[in-house]
Amino acid sequence: MNKKAIVIISILVITLLLFASYKTFLGPKGIEGAKEVTVHIVNENEDVDKTFKYNTDHGFLLELLEEKQEELGATFETSDLGTMVIGMMNYISDPNKQEFFYITINGEEAMTGVGEIPLNDKDTYKFELTNY
Amino acid sequence: MKIRDIALIGILSAIITAGKLALSFVPNVEIVTLLFIVYTIVFGYKRIFFTSVVFTTTEIFIYGFSTWLLGYYIVWPMLIMITGLMKEKIKSEYGYATIGAIFGYAFGMFFAIVESFFYGRAYGWVYWIRGIPFDLIHGTSNFIIILVLYKPITDVLMKLKKSYYNL
Repeated sequence: MNKKAIVIISILVITLLLFASYKTFLGPKGIEGAKEVTVHIVNENEDVDKTFKYNTDHGFLLELLEEKQEELGATFETSDLGTMVIGMMNYISDPNKQEFFYITINGEEAMTGVGEIPLNDKDTYKFELTNY
Repeated sequence: MKIRDIALIGILSAIITAGKLALSFVPNVEIVTLLFIVYTIVFGYKRIFFTSVVFTTTEIFIYGFSTWLLGYYIVWPMLIMITGLMKEKIKSEYGYATIGAIFGYAFGMFFAIVESFFYGRAYGWVYWIRGIPFDLIHGTSNFIIILVLYKPITDVLMKLKKSYYNL
């Protein structure tokens, strides 16, 4: 076996060991009910103003929304840029009316998609149907 | 800078963009690092610095502006600078493969620092820890790709450079 092949196999083995170590020591380990978060949905057009409180061990908002998808009536759209929330309480935003769900965290505008919003204890995540 | 250089920068950045898009279906496996290293060795850091600016700006046109693209304006010139500085010391593809590997392993950490300026330290920390498996793939794949492809691509580009600049 030539030198390059040996080096490549070695680095692959080391990577697998590091990956296993990550899973064992650093990988997210959920603690049941570790965080209490609030999901607030507002859609004035449909007279919707609902609040849901959840105890969750998920790390990111998207994971929680996916778990509670049925209850929240959530609809997602996935593209190269990530996952977007396009529907809430079974209402899908209409791009022809320039509608979208504006996301705020404790009143502050979310700067990333739901897949990158970390869940923090006592935080409120508001989805409000609005126009751009 | 000559017209020849300007045309070359356009071609080189287009190849990087195409190479990135072609591999975009495999998470964190890319040839951008390899190309920037090879380009810097063959064409010199000055031209490739401009290539990286054109490449990042093209990314904004494709994906829209976001904070991670801001990091691109720093991270690629940094790789070019490191490669340029190490050029005289590194004599084989193993050295460049090591630079590419370290660059890939540290990629998430660097962007976590940039993100933490915008969203706070806690977010940056989560961002980095959650991304470690992707960084492992990134660093290791960089190492293998550079180890295998550095020499053949460099040889071809050296020949093309001679004919392009009539050397």
